[in-house]
Amino acid sequence: MTDERPILLVEDNELNRDMLIRRLNRAGIEVIPAENGQEALDKMISEQPRLVLMDMNLPVLDGWTACRRAREDERIKDIPIIALTAHAMEADRLNALEAGCDDYATKPVDFPGLLIKIGKLARP
Amino acid sequence: MSLRRRLTLALVAILSLFAVNVGTHFWGSFARSESMVAYRNSVTASQLSMEVEQLLENQRQQTLVLATLRDTTEDQLDAEELERAEAEVAAIRSAISRLGRLSHNATEGHFEKLADSSNALLDGWLEFYRNYNDRSYSSDVDDPLPYLEASERLAELEQRQAFIAVQRASIIDRTIALTDRITVIGFIASIFLTATLGFFLVRYTNRSLKRLKTGTQRIGSGDLNFRIDNIDDKGELGDLANAFNDMSDKLRNAIYDVSRARDVADEANAAKSIFLANVSHELRTPLNAIIGYSEMLHDELDDSRDIDRRQFQSDLDKVTLSGRQLLTLINDILDLSKIETGKMSLHCETFKPGELITQVCDSLAPLLRDRNNTLQLPDLSDMPTLYNDQAKFRQIFTNLMSNACKFTQNGYISLSGEAVPGREGWYQFSVRDTGIGMNEEEQRKVFEAFVQADSSTSANYGGTGLGLAICREYCDLMGGSISVASAPGEGSTFTIVLPSDPELAHADA
Repeated sequence: MTDERPILLVEDNELNRDMLIRRLNRAGIEVIPAENGQEALDKMISEQPRLVLMDMNLPVLDGWTACRRAREDERIKDIPIIALTAHAMEADRLNALEAGCDDYATKPVDFPGLLIKIGKLARP
Repeated sequence: MSLRRRLTLALVAILSLFAVNVGTHFWGSFARSESMVAYRNSVTASQLSMEVEQLLENQRQQTLVLATLRDTTEDQLDAEELERAEAEVAAIRSAISRLGRLSHNATEGHFEKLADSSNALLDGWLEFYRNYNDRSYSSDVDDPLPYLEASERLAELEQRQAFIAVQRASIIDRTIALTDRITVIGFIASIFLTATLGFFLVRYTNRSLKRLKTGTQRIGSGDLNFRIDNIDDKGELGDLANAFNDMSDKLRNAIYDVSRARDVADEANAAKSIFLANVSHELRTPLNAIIGYSEMLHDELDDSRDIDRRQFQSDLDKVTLSGRQLLTLINDILDLSKIETGKMSLHCETFKPGELITQVCDSLAPLLRDRNNTLQLPDLSDMPTLYNDQAKFRQIFTNLMSNACKFTQNGYISLSGEAVPGREGWYQFSVRDTGIGMNEEEQRKVFEAFVQADSSTSANYGGTGLGLAICREYCDLMGGSISVASAPGEGSTFTIVLPSDPELAHADA
């Protein structure tokens, strides 16, 4: 991973957030955390991460709305977003893609698979 | 008018006409035969009269000859000759009496007159024959008057008989003409009546049947709102129409019921799918932590770097915590599923609610300390015993208490228990906290399965979103109810109303 910019992890569950940050760090990826949709949008604008991992069930502003708003915002509309959710039905996958996510991963996270997805989307 | 009444009426009318015809025929026959007998008698009597006239004539000639012979000769009348003469007179008498037997009422007067005069004549003649040989007897047989009178009476009777015969003949003619006329009129009337009744019967019945046919076709093609009305027939066809109307009503209701049942089934199915999706979602959240931490710890072990043992232990604790959370979740799901399929039963026993609440509070003491909350527990030891499900009571209070602990920080949690005023045997318990509270929308949904007031609260505060759903179901099962009063930022109060015995709730209902 030669890209120096961090990725943004949006996750409201403390355990899961902590765990993912540590695993991504171990894989050599710098991570900025966010706890809700609004914070995610703010940090996307201010930090310009190379990619966003976004949980969908979020307080304040949920993931789907945050995705839609990100896609409408000129400053951040090109940042790739991977939806990260415990909703595992086919309809949920379509919902996420429809909201403007570029890819979709279900919890429990298949970590090597997630790294591959990040690698594909984060390539400049 | 009903079809059966129409048919019966037509049949009765035709049969009456038929009976009139037959009656007329019999009456005609009877009248004819009566007149016929009278006519025949009259004819026979007239023949007999002629016969009697001839006999009288002959006998008179013979008597006149004998009278002349007696005056001119000395000849005696021997016994044989007298006997013959007497026999001849007797024959005349018998002929006259036969004439009398033929005599009709109408001719009786004439006959009696004839009988009187002829008897006088014949008696005279007999006297003459018997005294023929007595020379001292002077005869008056040559006097013509008695004979003429008898002849005249006979002629009168004959005339009368002839008159009656003519009269009878004319009566017969009239009777025949009358019966013929009545028969023909009756026949024509029968034909006319039959045709008229047949026409109306066919017309009305046909009209009703056509309406029935149209109606059944429309009902059959699915137009179940169609009603067969305007049936003139209030009888069988009307009943048939009503039966069809009832049938279409029932069909419509049945279809409505079926579609309702289908909607309910669809809803239940949708609810099941949502439930399954929620279960899947809820299971994945702790599993994510378990698998994620385990894989991470595995990776750390593989590293050659030194292991931070404290960190390692803390991570393992997180795995254990998530595992426990998963177990609680699975147990809650199983309980809820048991309740929903009606397999959750009540095991009633006698217990003291105060003691039970104290036990629950003791077991939750660590949770209270975690968030620095203060418990306010009044003395409930003098509350009367309840006969209800102790385990469920404990579960309800555990859920409510742990919720109160979870959503309150540095606050107060107070419990209360008292009899419901005015409702004997009912008690209310409440758990009040000074925590985050809920708005009205959240309060409405808080007892639904998998709903926490905010969908993110489970992330922040833990829990499955099933605890209050289970509390509500348990309260229902135990014959009581649960309610909430709350305002955002001002804490929540959950109140449970329970009967001392579930039977009490059934009795009240």
